Amino acid sequence: MNARERMEAAINLKPVDRVPNAPFTEAPVCNYYGSTFRAALLEGPQMLEAHMKSLEEFKFDWVMLGMGLIGGIIPEALDCQVSYPEDVFPIIKKTTIFSMEDVDRIAKKNMFTKRMDSFLEGVSLLKKEFKDEVPIACEYVSPFTIATRLRGTNEIMMDIYENPELVHALQEAIVPLDIAIGKALIEAGVDYIFYGADMECPVLLSPNHYREFVHEPTTRVCNELSRLGSKVLPHMCGDIVKTGIVDMLLEMDIHGIMPGNLTQEKVLDIRKLKEKVKDRICIFDNINPNGPLLIGKPEEVAKETLEHLEKAKGMNGYIFSTAGTSSPFTPKENYLAMDKEVANFQWR
Amino acid sequence: MAIADILNAIVSLKKDEVVENVIAEIEAGTQVDDILNKGLIGAMDVVGEKFSSGEFFVPEMLMAAKAMQAGLEVLKPHLSGDAAAEKGTIIIGTVKGDLHDIGKNLVTMMVEGAGFNVIDLGVDVDTDKFVSEAQTRNADVVCLSALLTTTMPSMAKTVEAIKEAGLKVKTIVGGAPVTDAYAQQIGADGFSDNAPGAVELIRKLVAA
Repeated sequence: MNARERMEAAINLKPVDRVPNAPFTEAPVCNYYGSTFRAALLEGPQMLEAHMKSLEEFKFDWVMLGMGLIGGIIPEALDCQVSYPEDVFPIIKKTTIFSMEDVDRIAKKNMFTKRMDSFLEGVSLLKKEFKDEVPIACEYVSPFTIATRLRGTNEIMMDIYENPELVHALQEAIVPLDIAIGKALIEAGVDYIFYGADMECPVLLSPNHYREFVHEPTTRVCNELSRLGSKVLPHMCGDIVKTGIVDMLLEMDIHGIMPGNLTQEKVLDIRKLKEKVKDRICIFDNINPNGPLLIGKPEEVAKETLEHLEKAKGMNGYIFSTAGTSSPFTPKENYLAMDKEVANFQWR
Repeated sequence: MAIADILNAIVSLKKDEVVENVIAEIEAGTQVDDILNKGLIGAMDVVGEKFSSGEFFVPEMLMAAKAMQAGLEVLKPHLSGDAAAEKGTIIIGTVKGDLHDIGKNLVTMMVEGAGFNVIDLGVDVDTDKFVSEAQTRNADVVCLSALLTTTMPSMAKTVEAIKEAGLKVKTIVGGAPVTDAYAQQIGADGFSDNAPGAVELIRKLVAA
């Protein structure tokens, strides 16, 4: 199987020749092979070079992009003041939504800035080079998470009690923009929309507020992107099983789910999640990108990886990953240890 | 009217009721220290417990803290001396390169709610700024926050700089990507993955 066949088989819960390995590699890869972190996040040719080189050394089954898109390009296109440092993620220096009038302004924005076009060019270049053998995934975010970037997280969280109309109206304005960018990504060559529910996860927001404020606009975007041909894969930290969030996610047209294991102490029981989702969607299991992978030794990374694989052994629709973004300073030998462990694991 | 009403109003996220009840207690001649410790600070302990148990989430924490702050503003003119500074001075900020502030703000509110004197340096804070503020304010604890994996090295740099400056101040770290193992690796004095935990940690470090 090539990478695409392997990923497609797993997503469709069919047999695979080995466990697909689909980690969030964008930042480390940029650092290992890119001209600068900033350029490899944002600019087409540098992005292409970094990811192509990574696939010569690693056995990853996808290429994951999008940190520059969700962290900088989208907020900037919607009037936030953004800086793009050389060695860290884009930084939102100034938010842009202060009143309902601002929401009207946002609704009329043209999202396709020069930076957006450059990013889309990078996707197209990768698509052409891969000849459809390696799928392209792109990080993407919900209307609620975009809203927090435009208005400020504290402000949106307080608005839920003090100005709920603004929370609804802002997301209503964002939904068509979110769909328009998603459509452009799919047309440029993105196969999988990796849908980050960063700010509405049950670590931050109650399930009741998720249902009241987030679920409906998110569903509209996910369903439309799915209809347009992308595989839609939500990613959410926290205990999505215990809080019942997973049941709401299953109401959407999604193809897989990734719980976020951001600590080793609070790893979601993959078997319990499987009981919930049954054979409806695939599961992206993941190790903590800030644990041994970042600060440990290769043998510790191999051990953690193996523990996850053993627990899920034989499960259909299983894909291995990391729980969200890895640091660009993640040691390469640690990533190689993880990669090797997944590639050599006897699955059945 | 009772101090319990102040506590209940904060836990119910009712800012106006908090203010009304604090005024009523002051006018009734209740000891201001009792209003502060049993009403306002006591309420934030309850809020912290509710957050830890999954009953409260970030919006509820922020609203409770806002209600508590409103009550504290009314009470401040009646407080004797520098009670907050006596409990300890805490420096807090999000490290260089990182503009995320929700975790930092939650910790700030909870630590203030626990009665400490908190100096919030904001976001994207230089190492030098942490060191100079800790020195000039004679701080007891410096709290470093980061949400981005890319900015975690700034934590290590800051902890190292504080040690090199020979300050006796304790350092604690927190934020979504930060782990206890990472805290130990960079030589921080403590780690917490949530705001109530940070309060408990600070209490222990200041008392030690």
